Amino acid sequence: MVSAIELRGAAPAVRESAWVRGLLIGTSVIFLGAFLLAPLAVVFAVALGKGLAAYAASFRDADTLSAIRLTLLAAAIAVPANLVFGVAAAWCIGKFEFFGKSFLIALIDLPFSVSPVVAGLAYVLLFGAHGALGPWLTDHNVRVIFAVPGILLVTIFVTVPFIARELLPLISAQGNDEEEAALTLGASGWQTFLKVTLPNVKWALLYGVILCNARAMGEFGAVSVVSGHIRGLTNTMPLQIEVLYNDYQFVPAFTVASLLALLALATLVIKSIVEWKAGKVGSQPT
Amino acid sequence: MSITVRNVSKRFGTLSALDRIDLEIPQGRLVALLGPSGSGKTTLLRIIAGLEIPDGGVVRFDGEDIADRTARERRVGFVFQHYALFRHMTVFENIAFGLRVRSRRTRPSAQQIRARVGELLDLIQLQNQAGRYPSQLSGGQRQRVALARALAVEPSVMLLDEPFGALDAKVRMELRRWLRQLHDEVGVTSVFVTHDQDEALEVADQVAVMNAGRIEQVGTPDEVYSRPASSFVYNFLGNVNLFHGRIDNGTPHIHREATGHLVFVRPHALEIARHPQGANYFRATTKHINAAGPLVKVEAITEWGAPVHVEMAQERFRDLGLHNGEEVFITPRDLAVFANEQRAG
Repeated sequence: MVSAIELRGAAPAVRESAWVRGLLIGTSVIFLGAFLLAPLAVVFAVALGKGLAAYAASFRDADTLSAIRLTLLAAAIAVPANLVFGVAAAWCIGKFEFFGKSFLIALIDLPFSVSPVVAGLAYVLLFGAHGALGPWLTDHNVRVIFAVPGILLVTIFVTVPFIARELLPLISAQGNDEEEAALTLGASGWQTFLKVTLPNVKWALLYGVILCNARAMGEFGAVSVVSGHIRGLTNTMPLQIEVLYNDYQFVPAFTVASLLALLALATLVIKSIVEWKAGKVGSQPT
Repeated sequence: MSITVRNVSKRFGTLSALDRIDLEIPQGRLVALLGPSGSGKTTLLRIIAGLEIPDGGVVRFDGEDIADRTARERRVGFVFQHYALFRHMTVFENIAFGLRVRSRRTRPSAQQIRARVGELLDLIQLQNQAGRYPSQLSGGQRQRVALARALAVEPSVMLLDEPFGALDAKVRMELRRWLRQLHDEVGVTSVFVTHDQDEALEVADQVAVMNAGRIEQVGTPDEVYSRPASSFVYNFLGNVNLFHGRIDNGTPHIHREATGHLVFVRPHALEIARHPQGANYFRATTKHINAAGPLVKVEAITEWGAPVHVEMAQERFRDLGLHNGEEVFITPRDLAVFANEQRAG
């Protein structure tokens, strides 16, 4: 009875008149259309503007193919690296109390708050020819800046927070009970991790991996600083788009851009599926 | 397996959770650690399990110091207040977990595991729920699965942390009787933590009453209830009326002013009459009468203005024909006196 009365009492407060609702929904639709959908549509319109043949021809360019390969390589290394680091960091921060914990969390968030260009510059100052480690690296014939290793390093740097940040709230909310139960039942630390902790966070983990991958492939600023824009060698897809665009090669530029746009759309779809799956699991009383 | 706790202390920061605890738990007993929250009972249980490391003192299993054995090696069955079932595993997989994680050398065959889990499902009467997930079970069912999971590894000791704390009253009652039966069948040394005195008194062979990191009294339920060793135990176990008192010629009396002693009287040990009885009576005015249930509960105000609770049988109540606002005489039949260490606790 009480809840029925409360419901009836609460209803008018959330029921707006028709024109208010129309206005609010209309504003949202126009805003999203102008700022999100129109640019996305333009990317595909220009890419396919001269027909499918021209679209396909853009992929025959050796520099473009090399850029795609480099982007895939960067993601293939940055994502697993952050997977290991993110799980380890979230586990130790979420499950244990120790001195300097909030400092560590702040450190993980650093790539979010630092401009990617600054991050790139920092790596140049560290590993560049005139940087702190530059002379030593030159002596040992290792090139980091204006080469592939630099691109990998900054890609890892800008994607550090994604997986750790995604896992951390879940791992700390789940507490230690299940792990302690596994321990008293005779499971080793590794068995506990594989059979108890990991299955409980698998959806958040997948979600983090997707976001991390999207960022790794799409990163421009930091990579731009360390790459040196050497065509066919150190250009990633976002850099290649800029190079092509500056050469007035609009169809190839937008063709590569359409690939990144497709990646973004695929990421969104997978993300929604994962959220839906995770929501189904999460909504069950535990 | 018997458990011996000697001189065990544990601090969390500035808080002393356990202060030089001694406890003896004989083989095959069911012992309750009873106390209010923050009394250290769960900490003691977790130290026995190896989930917490004591700052000082010794825990022995069958006389052997187990300080260097991890929780994994102690072979204890631990049951958590919030079940701690593996949420992504079915009931069957939950119960089988402890057998499946054994090293290849000691792991039973798949067939043996199925047989063992089947037995345990029979024991907890959840044969038809083997394929369900914890989230699809009721609280009582979940706790039974947690018990079965702990029993699956044939632990030498069962440790239960507020096992029924998260359940509603009726399921609690059923489950604690079931636990007692189960203990009588399985016979494994068990320790359970509770803040519910009824639960401790009904289920346990022995009750250890804890307060502020110390053990106040250890005894059978009858001993701790009928012969409390301290005012805390008297207060904590069951309802009680608190009076000031003094001792004249060796007999305690209720006194209206603060004295050196506290007198405790259980509500059923107070006699209401229309006329003075004996020498130790006082006047009171009835204020509220609750006649629902097997006992009639009368709340009255004493002549010095303090509330007093009296319980009597329905029959006695009818004989008296009591109403609200009547003046009566109350005589304690049985009272306990303690030195006033904590002022009017």
